[in-house]
Amino acid sequence: MERLITKLTEKHVLFTASFVIRLALVAYGDYQDKTMVVKYTDIDYHVFTDAARFITEGQSPYNRSTYRYTPLLAWLLTPNIYLNMVFGKILFIVCDVLSGLLIYKILLLKGLGTEAALRVCALWLLNPLPIGVSSRGNAESILAALVLGTLLCMEARHLMWGAILYGLSVHMKIYPVTYALPIALSLRTTETRSEDNKGMKSLMRFIRSFLNRELFLFASVAAGVFCMLTALFYYMYGWEFFHETYLYHLTRRDIRHNFSPYFYMLYLTADSGWSQWLGLAAFLPQLILLLVASWAFHSDLSFCCFLHTSIFVSFNKVCTSQYFLWYLCLLPLVIPHLSLSLKQGVGLLILWFAGQGLWLGPAYFLEFEGYNTFLWIWLAGLLFLIINSFILIQIVSHYKPTQTPQRLKVE
Amino acid sequence: MLPISEVSRLANEKNENHCGLLQHWIESSLVSMEIIKRGFHREVETTVELSPDVHSGVRVLLLHRWPRGVYVDPYQLASLSDLSDWKIILDSTIDLEGPAHKTTGFVTFVYPTPDGPTPTLLKVTIPIHGRYHEPSFVAETFTSVEIEPPELLLWTEKCMPLNNVEPHDVMEAPCTHHNSSSCQWVKQQHQQKERGPVNVQFPVGDGSLCGPVCGGTLLVTMLCCVALSKHMWEHRII
Repeated sequence: MERLITKLTEKHVLFTASFVIRLALVAYGDYQDKTMVVKYTDIDYHVFTDAARFITEGQSPYNRSTYRYTPLLAWLLTPNIYLNMVFGKILFIVCDVLSGLLIYKILLLKGLGTEAALRVCALWLLNPLPIGVSSRGNAESILAALVLGTLLCMEARHLMWGAILYGLSVHMKIYPVTYALPIALSLRTTETRSEDNKGMKSLMRFIRSFLNRELFLFASVAAGVFCMLTALFYYMYGWEFFHETYLYHLTRRDIRHNFSPYFYMLYLTADSGWSQWLGLAAFLPQLILLLVASWAFHSDLSFCCFLHTSIFVSFNKVCTSQYFLWYLCLLPLVIPHLSLSLKQGVGLLILWFAGQGLWLGPAYFLEFEGYNTFLWIWLAGLLFLIINSFILIQIVSHYKPTQTPQRLKVE
Repeated sequence: MLPISEVSRLANEKNENHCGLLQHWIESSLVSMEIIKRGFHREVETTVELSPDVHSGVRVLLLHRWPRGVYVDPYQLASLSDLSDWKIILDSTIDLEGPAHKTTGFVTFVYPTPDGPTPTLLKVTIPIHGRYHEPSFVAETFTSVEIEPPELLLWTEKCMPLNNVEPHDVMEAPCTHHNSSSCQWVKQQHQQKERGPVNVQFPVGDGSLCGPVCGGTLLVTMLCCVALSKHMWEHRII
């Protein structure tokens, strides 16, 4: 068994095998789409392809209803129309395997051995969830590759490239914008602790620590990339681009059932005067946790970003299973530093799946059988939040950073 | 050679015969509707039994007037129409995500056999989806959406212009699913339908629980927030 694992996790074997598995599933998916009623390909893939078709006809991709992404994605997928519809899926699986490679490189930079790094990579490369998602035609792997690329550049101190990739990833999906605070905190000038801790002076020192060349370079390049892309697409597609790519996601109040603990509350109060205040109240826990996480863990950027995204997704007003991939791609960076036993780790994993299962049950009965299970879905959503919080607490409590041995004692 | 007046008199007679036949066909046709499946995703199965002596040149059109509580997915219909022999056109763009009280009803034109001869028994199955409805504040767990059976319309080029088809109405509608021209169709009178409208039930949220749900949600989220913040702060890395 040990020999098999060692063989499988040889670099070339692992990466080749993971690409081949994905390619085989893409081929199978094509067969299933043509022969069976239940399609393998995700509906999103058809949305992307339809939007790409509009672009090839010289029109706006937003003519395709429910296309709520950057035009860049539709542009990238225009070979779906010119060459073959499978092009997009090939692109997604390549980005998926690339994400595995980036995880490997980051782990090496953080001091992990080759063999250990490959074993951890295998958790992503041979994981059925990302395999399924990218072979079905979801574009999440592009963003995973961009975020991991940003982290690799930050780890290797290639700030300009990191800033370019960061600007690009924020353009593609808004959630990486939360990484701005920990990145800023990690790039500021760290000084030796001064005796003088008087309020005003230490505040001034704190603000001044942000004013350094590196942070300025990163901020201006990232903002520049983001603004350039926004300006370009605004010029091409107008207000609709801005609304569908950004505003819709920021103000999204999907009252239909989803994993979010806020779903039922937002559904029942959708048309009431309280709706705005409740939306704000729902935003507060997210904001507080992101601020605390940024301050507490900014020196370990990978861990901080993982926490940021898990918190963002778990406490968000809308949560679908696609969002899980946003933090799952960062989990392999965290795992080598966890002092949890295998049994504990598997236990947490089972708990996470159980939480989803308890939600999916009543949701199925509501949507496909027509029972009124709203109350059960609501309770399952709350339970899933509690489970996610518990898992995060376990991860935080058992995390041992290797590079910075300083750790504040538990007060 | 017959004189022109004689030719036009014979033509009129033939026209009247065809129109009479059309009137007879529409009177003797039966339309029935059944809604299958459960939950938010249903299928509306319409069966049309035409009179056995219907000529091959007759075109059939089914006109559905849908309430705002349901919608059809144009993209799903487009992929379905590749696999089935019926074609459909919609009268307006469909909002795929809006709740019922913020959308309007719409009309669909279904052409069961757009090309080829018309068989006497037609079956069309259209997938429909329920919209989310406003929560109920009177402790009702379901809301009812009434779906009317479609109206049957017939057209034949041999009865043009349409006259003497009382008591049936004449209606303008697209000639084919290409929607390039408009024709005059004969609409069947209501009494020929086998059943009346069908009521479809969709679950709705319980508005009377608004207080406990809001309170419970905010309490649990705040508690999780506090617990997680506390642990993150205790284990912070300098």
